[in-house]
Amino acid sequence: MNGRRGCMAAIALLVAGGVFCVGAQDAKKYEVKSPIQIEWWHALESQYAPLIERVVADFERQNPNIDVTAIYQGSYKDLNEKLIAAQAAGTTLPAVVVANTPYIAEYGASGLCEVLDPYIKATKFDIGDFGTGLRAASSYDGKQVSLPFLISTQIMFYNKDMADAEGIRLPETWADMDAFMKKAAKSSGGTVQRYATVFPGWDQWYFEPFFLNNGVKIVNKDGLSTDLASPKAVGVAKKLKQWCDDKVSYWAYGKDASSVMRQNFMEGKTFSVIHTTSLYNMYATNCGFKVGMHYLPGASTRDSEIGGCVLLIPAKNKQDVKNAGWKLLSYLTGKEVNMLWARETGYMPTRNSVTKTSEGKAYLAEKPAFKAVFDNLDHIYPRIQHTAYSALSKIWMQELAKVIIEGGDVQAAMNRAAVLIDEALED
Amino acid sequence: MRVDTSAVPSGRTRIRVPRYRKRESVKDFLCVAPALAFFAVFVYYPLADLFRIGFTNWNLIRDSYKFVGLKNYKWLFHGSGLGTWLSSLRITFSYTFWEIAITLIGGMLLAALFNRESKAFAAMRSLVFMPKYIAVSTSAIVFMWILNDQYGFMNYLLGLFGVAPVSWLNSEKTAFTSLLILTGWRVVGYGMMIYLSAMKGISKDYYEAAQLDGANGFQRFRFVTLPLLSPTTLFLFVTTFIASMKVFQSVDVMTDGGPYESTNVMVYWIYDLAFVQFRVDRAAVVAGVFFVILLAFTAATMKISNKNVHYDS
Repeated sequence: MNGRRGCMAAIALLVAGGVFCVGAQDAKKYEVKSPIQIEWWHALESQYAPLIERVVADFERQNPNIDVTAIYQGSYKDLNEKLIAAQAAGTTLPAVVVANTPYIAEYGASGLCEVLDPYIKATKFDIGDFGTGLRAASSYDGKQVSLPFLISTQIMFYNKDMADAEGIRLPETWADMDAFMKKAAKSSGGTVQRYATVFPGWDQWYFEPFFLNNGVKIVNKDGLSTDLASPKAVGVAKKLKQWCDDKVSYWAYGKDASSVMRQNFMEGKTFSVIHTTSLYNMYATNCGFKVGMHYLPGASTRDSEIGGCVLLIPAKNKQDVKNAGWKLLSYLTGKEVNMLWARETGYMPTRNSVTKTSEGKAYLAEKPAFKAVFDNLDHIYPRIQHTAYSALSKIWMQELAKVIIEGGDVQAAMNRAAVLIDEALED
Repeated sequence: MRVDTSAVPSGRTRIRVPRYRKRESVKDFLCVAPALAFFAVFVYYPLADLFRIGFTNWNLIRDSYKFVGLKNYKWLFHGSGLGTWLSSLRITFSYTFWEIAITLIGGMLLAALFNRESKAFAAMRSLVFMPKYIAVSTSAIVFMWILNDQYGFMNYLLGLFGVAPVSWLNSEKTAFTSLLILTGWRVVGYGMMIYLSAMKGISKDYYEAAQLDGANGFQRFRFVTLPLLSPTTLFLFVTTFIASMKVFQSVDVMTDGGPYESTNVMVYWIYDLAFVQFRVDRAAVVAGVFFVILLAFTAATMKISNKNVHYDS
């Protein structure tokens, strides 16, 4: 009996040792063995330069073999152009690059991104610490092709002083919107003195949740058609148009619409605006009043979508560059620096463990408005992933803006959009 | 008259090219070879590749792609691309027409006005020409604010005369005009300077002769200045035509081709297809067809102009 037990123990030890050895071998595969210089392309403007320098310097101290050059490449749009050009050329690719979340579908489908699952497994990177939604938003076809970096979601910023003084109740549901609009908007003699809110029509991401929460699929299950001409979708569009026609709200559209909307909010010309949580610092610093954040009203569901950017490693890089890139990527998305990004940029903390730590609690005490986001972390989902989504959103945005701003029949406009979108999806 | 044909080689006899001529030809070729190589690498090869990509389904990101024959051409001429193509072509030609009109007519009128020798006129000429020095993107950002419907200077100015605010960049009725306002501000000074230098090159003898024949000021302009400016007009016409057909930056900064595609000029559409919709194959087809159109128009202009341009001065 003792012999048998000893034998079993020996086998168990061998198996465990084997697993350990394989794991260690895998980890070795991704080690950085010799000094290397790598580039990190990002879209963080000049005001974040000191923060980036600090983070990169800390990383280099911990990884003396790796010399990182962080390069600001302009907006997400500029960054996309440069990345595509570098990918086509097959040279000058950065080791790590930031990408706006909608690009992940096309990048993933085209094989631009290195699949990170083996790296995660070999280095025991704690991927489970990111919420399910965040993991899905940075994956494509079930593979982890990027990691969540600076994440935001749609939110309603409102003038808290005004709300307290006038007893304005913020809408929890789509049905509450009419009463909210009536209470928060002000006009005198037919002239608008204050809008209740502003709908950002320059990017479909901002108004998409109203449709999704009202049961609109946008892309049907077949992936080849849209339900944007359905009664549900038309109902939402009609309501949006009605509020704009009644001048209790307006449809912000055009290249300068975002800056004008911000200005209107700061000057008290609108009670609230719908924008991205990443701009909290900007609003809180520049407004002469207390700024509150309110989670968007729901209907059959009350979900919002993930925005912001992820980090990825271009797959065409050589293995030593990818290894160094992985070191940097895992550092930038690691627990240590996660709160630093959140505190200094206005983006949300992405790691569940961070939100529960004392640091997370201190963050909430410093920015209490973020409670609206923290309370709804389980309701923040990835955007719809479809390679034709950029074409879809452009058509939808244009038709909706045209019918709301210039006038016309909503059903006809949505029908027109649906025909064009179906063509784009089928393509 | 008799012609001596004894030195002319008969029938199949080959003409012997002197050796020094051959050496000269090789030297000539070697002189232009670097420029030719440059053009071959940076112009002709990309151009040929552009047409090749048009027959594939490449999206610029994937490494692999298939040849799809005329599929992308069908999309452009018989598919969903046709409507946008025709609309984009119309907008581009319309933009070109107005830019040429502003450059030629505005430039010539200003040149006639500023063709004086004094410090004040020199200063005014500099002021009118100055916008050409400013980068298009910088000017476009400034004009975005000038034309902003709520906070812009233009609407403030119109408001002083009781005119209601105009949604310059956000209405499909005015966005195109807004682009032309920026364009006019930038190009009219350039047209003026080119015309001015040409006017200064016209001999005064022509004007004196015309004056002796009893021609008045307008007649001197119509029958002396205008014909002698025709090479300059041709130069401005061709260069402005090519440049304006390729307008991109002002559209990219100010309107993104909108609102509702009312400023969706051809090059912006090509960019949008390639980098926003990831359809480089289609972008290549549109760019290829656009290249042929530009080439045909330029060639036609040059041919027609040979009959009407006077190089007498």
